[in-house]
Amino acid sequence: MELSIDRLTKHYGRKIAVDCVSASFKPGLYGLLGANGAGKTTLMRMLCAVLEATSGEVFLDKKEVTAMGADYRDLLGYLPQEFGYYPGYTAMEFLMYIAALKGIPRDIAKKRVRELLEVVGLESVSGKKLRTFSGGMKQRVGIAQALLNQPKILILDEPTAGLDPRERVRFRNLLADYAGERIVLLSTHIVSDIEAIADEVLMMKKGKFVLQGTIAELTRKAAGKVWELAVSPGEARRWQDEAIVANLRHEGEQVVLRILSDTLPDGRAVPCEASLEDLYLYYFGSEEGVR
Amino acid sequence: MMELFLLEHRKLWRRGTTKVCVFVCFVYAVLFGSVLSFQWFSFGSSNHTDSFGNNFDGYRMIRDCQEYSRAFGGELTDESFQQMVRDYQEAEAAHMDRRLQLTDRQGIQGWLEALYPELKDSSSLKLMVSYVDPDELTGFYERRQQAVGTFLEISGQEGREKEYLMQMEQSVQKPFRYEWTEGWSAVLSTIAGETGTVMAVFLAIVLSPLFAGERRDGIKVLMLTTKNGWRKTAFAKILTGLCFALEFFAVIAAGQVASQLFFLGTAGWDMPIQNIKLIAVAPMNMLQAEIYEYAFTLLGMIGYAGIVMLLSAAAGSSVLAMVSSLAAVLVPTSLENYLPFWLQKAKDLIPLVGTGTDIFRTNTLCIFGRYIWSPYLLITIPVLIGMLCVPFAVKGWARRMRV
Repeated sequence: MELSIDRLTKHYGRKIAVDCVSASFKPGLYGLLGANGAGKTTLMRMLCAVLEATSGEVFLDKKEVTAMGADYRDLLGYLPQEFGYYPGYTAMEFLMYIAALKGIPRDIAKKRVRELLEVVGLESVSGKKLRTFSGGMKQRVGIAQALLNQPKILILDEPTAGLDPRERVRFRNLLADYAGERIVLLSTHIVSDIEAIADEVLMMKKGKFVLQGTIAELTRKAAGKVWELAVSPGEARRWQDEAIVANLRHEGEQVVLRILSDTLPDGRAVPCEASLEDLYLYYFGSEEGVR
Repeated sequence: MMELFLLEHRKLWRRGTTKVCVFVCFVYAVLFGSVLSFQWFSFGSSNHTDSFGNNFDGYRMIRDCQEYSRAFGGELTDESFQQMVRDYQEAEAAHMDRRLQLTDRQGIQGWLEALYPELKDSSSLKLMVSYVDPDELTGFYERRQQAVGTFLEISGQEGREKEYLMQMEQSVQKPFRYEWTEGWSAVLSTIAGETGTVMAVFLAIVLSPLFAGERRDGIKVLMLTTKNGWRKTAFAKILTGLCFALEFFAVIAAGQVASQLFFLGTAGWDMPIQNIKLIAVAPMNMLQAEIYEYAFTLLGMIGYAGIVMLLSAAAGSSVLAMVSSLAAVLVPTSLENYLPFWLQKAKDLIPLVGTGTDIFRTNTLCIFGRYIWSPYLLITIPVLIGMLCVPFAVKGWARRMRV
């Protein structure tokens, strides 16, 4: 199974949301990283065939997905960024409704809904109305609905938003288990979610893929660009204004800064091992307001 | 598909507005419009004291009225008519209030005014039934025949149209079967006849959000990415809307019919409708007319449901859909007096704009040179209009579902 995109482009008037991107996805877990407005959601909607591309195409095993229609949707699981729900429905009822939309027979759906409610840790509140759920609980319902039809292609737009750290770990493990023979694509700007489980990462900026590769390949690209520098608190403020500071911690009277820079920022700085987050900040630091 | 329909149907019924609308309409049309009307407002005996002027004894009064009317032999002839008038005048002279309340006063008065206008004393403030000489009340059916002819001429219905209507009139069986008429008059002119307009308001409130309520982006996107997709969801929704119209009708009609059977029983079902509207030409009895009126309401509701669903699918919000749905019924009704005659007739073809009481009309519509009695079209065209709206509703929904 291969999902591929060929010169996919989306314009909203003069604004270019996705700019002629091409990629190929085989079974595995893909992380789509990018700042807000980078074009991740637009790309995912085009991958789901709910949004028409201005140009370019999406293929599944060389078949154009919009032409596949219901056959493609049958293979698809999607969690939109803004997950809509019926507040008066219980989690059980809502998932049964989505199961009907997905054409899952009632008896199978019942069994699967129970299993998934357990998987996402909502079995004890399955009879409660969604309006009483916290943001994280609703998000877990959203994840469950995406998995209902056991999709071969799972597309998750910011799935960890609103989840607490324990839920995020549980979710990451679930996805890592699930990926196997399936294509899982998840977008986020929480780097640690991807760093822990993604087989491959695509980094998007202004509608384009700026980096693509395994985590090891990508972190290698940041090698030699990450430095640690111990300075006084007064100096620390100056460094934050002048350089990309990925992290800051106090050690006694001094402040240790993690600085991203192509060259040695200061004679006192020492090189250190790069992470995916460093790379992300290296590319998006100015957009995310990190300095 | 069936599962999706059942879930859409459940979704509609579990909404608070749906339950409230059905309940309020039931209270209005069945409890107040039928049960309390029979037992209290319309048929309770007069007590001239409390604000409603009636006692809470309609059931007993109706039984007594029905019993009293049977004394006239079950047929409306010159003799029985004279006897009714005579009996009324005797009761009035003897100040027998109770007995006066049992008479078919409204019906008798109507017949007198329509058929014996020369006996009217314009200087008297009393009802004709109080002073006309019963012996002068002869030639009931000949006079009626003449009155129908005159009415058609005044209405501008001459030539082939008049011939067509008079031919219908010939099929009306004479002499008329006669029993107490006021109960049937209430059923056919108000209870069954006028319910559709009230139900239209509630139907608009309930069905407006059917499509328009799914505007939430997240839900829309979920629908678009599922196997059944928006198309099957649209059909499930259409089926749900039509099914709700049917169920809503069934709840109200069943309540009204049950109340009618309890209070009126079945007595008089085979009387011709001319007993309550003398110049009607349709050869129908009360039961047939009631069936027509309920069928009119049901088909009108199905037709109107189609219109509401079209507006719901096309409009940007539930409120806009509801306002435009209500306007589809209320605007033509309120503009009636400003429309040319042909347009007045045409507007009655809009679902639930006309009423089931069209059964008493002598109107025709001329289609390709052929005269057709208007109720035949008034009962069929609205449902066809509604069905015609369905594909456009699906199209509108498809347009709205674009991300």
